[in-house]
Amino acid sequence: MSKPKIGIFGLTSCAGDQLAILNCEDELLDIVGAVDIKSFIMAQSELKAVQDQMEDSRFDLALVEGAVVTDEDEKMLKKIRDNTKLLIAIGTCAAWGGIPASRNDLEREELYQIVYGRREDLFGCHKPRPLRDFVQVDFSLLGCPIEKEEILRAFSSLLHEDVPVLPTFPVCFECKLNENLCIFKEKDDLCHGSVTLAGCGARCPSHGVPCRGCRGPVDEANIPSVYHLMKEKGYPVADVERALRTFTYNAEIPQ
Amino acid sequence: MMSRTIEVEHLARVEGHGKILVEIANGRASNVQLKLVEGPRFFEGLVLGRRAEEVPVLMSRICAICSAGHKLTSIMAIEKALEVQVSRQTELLRELLHHGMYIESHGLHLYFLALPDYLGFTGAVELAPKYPEEVKRGLGIKKLGNTIQGMIGGRPINPENAIVGGFGKVPNSEQLENLREYLERLLPDAEQTVLAFAGLKYNDFAAGPAIFYALRPEGPEYGYFGQTIVSSLGEKIPVEEYRQICNEEVVLHSTAKQSRKDGNSFMVGCLARMNLLADRLTPRAKNLLQKIGWMVPSHNPLHNNLARSIELVYSFERCLAVIDELLANGVSQEPVDVMPRRAGRGVAATEVPRGTLFHEYELDQEGRVVRANVVTPTALNQANIEKDIAGCVSHVADKNDEEIERYLEMIARAYDPCISCATHLVEVKHR
Repeated sequence: MSKPKIGIFGLTSCAGDQLAILNCEDELLDIVGAVDIKSFIMAQSELKAVQDQMEDSRFDLALVEGAVVTDEDEKMLKKIRDNTKLLIAIGTCAAWGGIPASRNDLEREELYQIVYGRREDLFGCHKPRPLRDFVQVDFSLLGCPIEKEEILRAFSSLLHEDVPVLPTFPVCFECKLNENLCIFKEKDDLCHGSVTLAGCGARCPSHGVPCRGCRGPVDEANIPSVYHLMKEKGYPVADVERALRTFTYNAEIPQ
Repeated sequence: MMSRTIEVEHLARVEGHGKILVEIANGRASNVQLKLVEGPRFFEGLVLGRRAEEVPVLMSRICAICSAGHKLTSIMAIEKALEVQVSRQTELLRELLHHGMYIESHGLHLYFLALPDYLGFTGAVELAPKYPEEVKRGLGIKKLGNTIQGMIGGRPINPENAIVGGFGKVPNSEQLENLREYLERLLPDAEQTVLAFAGLKYNDFAAGPAIFYALRPEGPEYGYFGQTIVSSLGEKIPVEEYRQICNEEVVLHSTAKQSRKDGNSFMVGCLARMNLLADRLTPRAKNLLQKIGWMVPSHNPLHNNLARSIELVYSFERCLAVIDELLANGVSQEPVDVMPRRAGRGVAATEVPRGTLFHEYELDQEGRVVRANVVTPTALNQANIEKDIAGCVSHVADKNDEEIERYLEMIARAYDPCISCATHLVEVKHR
């Protein structure tokens, strides 16, 4: 069997999910040996642009980081989709828009004015949106950044022609397993563990720091109940809403 | 001679999306543009209205490689605004986290982004079969940096354990002792890195007079935290007055703003720090600097790689000293006080791997952000990279396009540009 051809791409992002792959230091050489990495612009210099490479290489698997912000992002994403069998969104920006989308209630021109001090569209950019608004996404690895263990397990499953199994329960579940003090109950802090998808091993609450929801909402998250509890604790509704939208503006957030 | 245009369409082995455009006429560069084309994310707009303690959560996402730097600098700026003091233990743990970032970032840059250029490969994947020892050494150093960031910060990227006022959870003495042993074990690899990079040939096609800026620690040591900016012009500027050096201007070809001082470009980063502060280095780093016979100050941007390798050893030495101090004092879980809700303004600067980083926040009575400004090293360096590219072109204009492209990429890469960082990190005027 020939090695699967893989492309790793970044749209508008901090490159954190690509870096998370490079951070698999112990496994990196094995990964490189098991798959044929056709494009990884962060780690390789190719003589021609990514677009040119895609003309003559079709991918079995494309990992795409980042949100769609510019026209170029959209073009590149569609090109990747046309040239790959499987497309995986890596990271919360690709899956939900991430932090860059957290003020999608504002027009870009307003943000330009805030940041540049004048109202002018200089570069043709749009509100950050997740990949699935533009193309079919086969599945997503969540997190800001993605978790090393999840990447490695996903690679391993795919190499065995299987579909990766991802968690379907909230961070609270993992937090209880770690026997942590409940930050939400005991410290009255805005912890999002109850409505956030698990898979990080409850990283932040295990450090005594509230979950900020970086992995996006868990299926069937009971958000109205979070609003209710937070209100009881005296948080203004606007704060709760803003906090819930930190990473996932594009998710539905019923009050 | 005919005029021609050279374009490096996708600057590779850097963080983010960048392009270089050069127009050459009569053997000289008539137009040079380093285009940072990463889509804008407006971080300074995103934090407006947020409670102060949320700010570092968002700001560390500006860039993954220096997420710890953005995290710590935003924390320190918020603490200044709120007049929050932290313990010596917190200061030491922060320094350790910061060095974890340096070890990872410098290791990644030297072995995987820079080395392929000097040995004639397109990337580390291609390098691995021919230079397995170097690649493994690089991976080992990088992993150590991530281990430190994971232990102190809670994870290697976006270290959420670092918060305004201190840390969520502190490591225990056994963890620190193990880390100490790990550092001792890899110290020879860090020293070997200096010798390996001293053995490479650094073309001087981009060397030209430059102005250097760096943050200077208050004490007599080399370091990455301080309250004063110093320059090769002999200036001393308090960090609160950082706008003196970054009167940024919008340029149409880039989504990052450029900085010039009195119309001149300038350099920040490893080479600037080494040029200004080398006499303050730790003993092993200083000895190695002498041993390889590299004379500082140097005006060759490619020498950033030598400076980077020396700084790698410096970080190892500091980590060991910091751990010794922590162990001698005994580490304890310190409670973090509830943040005061009050108005204030705070500016903090740190030296991050690519140069000086500034964060500034203004808070209202409820402790919410009303104004934010971030100036990153790549934004500061952008004009100087263009200057060096123009200088290089006049030396090598007789070469073919492909070769010139390779040189230009090497120059840009030597600055280790972090394009996500630089993009749209400009002044916020929102009242």
